[in-house]
Amino acid sequence: MSRLHDLNFFIKLALAFAVMLVAWLVPGWRFGVPFALLCVLALWAVGVPGLRGYLKGALLLTAMVMVSWLVNLFIQGVSLHDSLPIAAAMAARLITTTAAFYFVMETSSPGSILAAASAARLPPIATLVLSLTFGIIPMLRDDFERIADAQRARGMEVDEVALPTKLRFALARGVPLLVQAIRLAHAISFSLAINGFDLKRRRTTWRNIGLLVEPRLSQKDNVDEVS
Amino acid sequence: MLEIANLKLGFGDPAPVVAEAACSLADGERLLICGAAGSGKTTFLSAAAGLIPRLMAIPLFSGDIAIKGRPISTLTRDELFSTIGFVSQNVEDQLWDLSVEDVIAFPMENRGVDRKAIRARLRQLIDGLRLTTLLGRRVLTLSGGERRMVAIAAALASNPSLLVLDEPTTGLDPEARARLSRSLGEAAASVSALLVAEQDPASLSSIVDTVMLLKDGKLSAPFPANDIMALERPWLEAGILPPSRTRSQPRTANPGASLLEVSGLTTKLVRSDARPVLSQVGLQVRAGEVVALIGRNGAGKTTLFKSILGLSGIEAGAIILDGANAEGWTAARRARKIAYVPQSMRHILFNLTVTGEVVFSITASTATTTDSSVANLASAMLARYGLSDLAQANPFALSARQQALLGLACADATGARMAIVDEPLLARDVEGRRMLDIFISSMLGSGRAVMLISHDLELVDDVATRLVILKDGGIAFDGNVADGWKSPAFAALGWSAPYGAPRLEGVA
Repeated sequence: MSRLHDLNFFIKLALAFAVMLVAWLVPGWRFGVPFALLCVLALWAVGVPGLRGYLKGALLLTAMVMVSWLVNLFIQGVSLHDSLPIAAAMAARLITTTAAFYFVMETSSPGSILAAASAARLPPIATLVLSLTFGIIPMLRDDFERIADAQRARGMEVDEVALPTKLRFALARGVPLLVQAIRLAHAISFSLAINGFDLKRRRTTWRNIGLLVEPRLSQKDNVDEVS
Repeated sequence: MLEIANLKLGFGDPAPVVAEAACSLADGERLLICGAAGSGKTTFLSAAAGLIPRLMAIPLFSGDIAIKGRPISTLTRDELFSTIGFVSQNVEDQLWDLSVEDVIAFPMENRGVDRKAIRARLRQLIDGLRLTTLLGRRVLTLSGGERRMVAIAAALASNPSLLVLDEPTTGLDPEARARLSRSLGEAAASVSALLVAEQDPASLSSIVDTVMLLKDGKLSAPFPANDIMALERPWLEAGILPPSRTRSQPRTANPGASLLEVSGLTTKLVRSDARPVLSQVGLQVRAGEVVALIGRNGAGKTTLFKSILGLSGIEAGAIILDGANAEGWTAARRARKIAYVPQSMRHILFNLTVTGEVVFSITASTATTTDSSVANLASAMLARYGLSDLAQANPFALSARQQALLGLACADATGARMAIVDEPLLARDVEGRRMLDIFISSMLGSGRAVMLISHDLELVDDVATRLVILKDGGIAFDGNVADGWKSPAFAALGWSAPYGAPRLEGVA
């Protein structure tokens, strides 16, 4: 299934938009909920990393969307019997959409996005924006985890505590995360500056690009091979 | 190639960081700038490489810098960074979440080099620096030494005329340092000149022609490298441990109770060939010991201490901490028994003041306290490590050296029975070594123990009471330091023993 991870970023993006479109066009919860479950199942089937974390977030999202719609419709005088399918359909749409883009985000490294965009001869600014937009969230999430590990390694009990305490400690990671985000931005801009990145010059790539993006330099190096 | 005259650099303090510095680097010359931590090496190199003031404006910048006869200020950014390859001391400052190949190819891709040419150069650099095993990996998942080698490969990729390296051997094992020396020697064909800053003069002595010492912002006259390496006085005057120093008196241990016992440890984390990073590892650390753990970059040293701390899962084995089985303990509970001082303290700081960090180390829950005993202990720790003046400073604003000292203060303050110190880079100069000695004395004096992870074999020889060699996911040697240097396990690493020859039993 890792071959699917190596799909060209733009193909993944097109697929994600197509899935999103279907999710928002299918009528009602009867189609929407199974479709959402199918998408989540697909994430598991293709071995998308960090699925446990995604599922936690998806459950939280589902609960929030359901509750907010139920309350909203209740205030408008709609009965629970009628509002439940509407709320479920909305939640399903959001789960499907996030699942599709989660797949794109988790399986596309900034390098593979840079390569796909460079091979497509996109302007350097578009190349950079795309790779940072999809690449920065996993980077910051890794930093968030690293900071949590640092807190644990310094004796802060962040695991065996009540949920409110856990949330408070998670919020306490905001300051170092902000510092780390600034450092990351500095590292990226410094790297671009000293490595000749120029908005007026189109980039090339070392990777072979086709339907798939070559994930690593092959041992038997042949520039004509297409992965 | 490079001419620097009357260079004066400062950050707003009355005393400039670099004052009236001058140096000249001819085509083909390799110049090593040595100085203690905080002596201004990085600032000087940043100016020489054109980063100051081009990318980093500072309050005081005056003087003349010319490259190939042209004032550096007249070069366009592209001309400047095509001419100069630069690797920062904190290599994380120039890396982001790219793969190894992406990082090395990045300067060529940005300059529109043809794919065939990029791949040929990639292959050349990867083979030359023996980075094949790292192919396809995300650079931020590599060890510190591996990251540095990748950054150096990237700096060499575009065949710069001048290569500027700030402490390039930091975090490299001896074999990687030798590889780096060889590669820099081979790069002589394409790189006209080399400017390197180091605290450890011995590591690149074979490839430099000239040495200049930086102290109190002033550069010394150039010394021929071969002449100065054998001397002691100029190094000591510059606050640097002399490369020709003699072996110190061995530290003796009187081991007490067992503080850490690892048995049959096999990690969940596996290598690319599906073997566990660590397999059936057994190790014991007793009170009063300084146990040094050495091994190649990527041998599993980091994984070992992460497993002990509960930050990395284990497949099998037992960890006994201070007599109690730590199975099921959270990382935080383990951390109250074992303090951890990483190579880069940035990664484990998260409070807003220096005092707050130390108070947090004592309380393990809050950075503020009304308890006078906690506040007094925090103050005493800051005083012990020379940080009293920085008590209210933001930890993220400290220099790398000050952060390292803060790490020692925090580890000492926890009262944990044992500390794991990962590559204490501050120990590479005279003052830093003194601080590390204070830390070790404080730990041992209060019946505690230290596990030292380092590639600095002289440091290991100086301070360790026991040596453990990690190789191929297991413990290849565990015993007396002197015996360690003579062991087949050490011979298999292919490294030179510290101080030139194995220590003779009973001889200092």
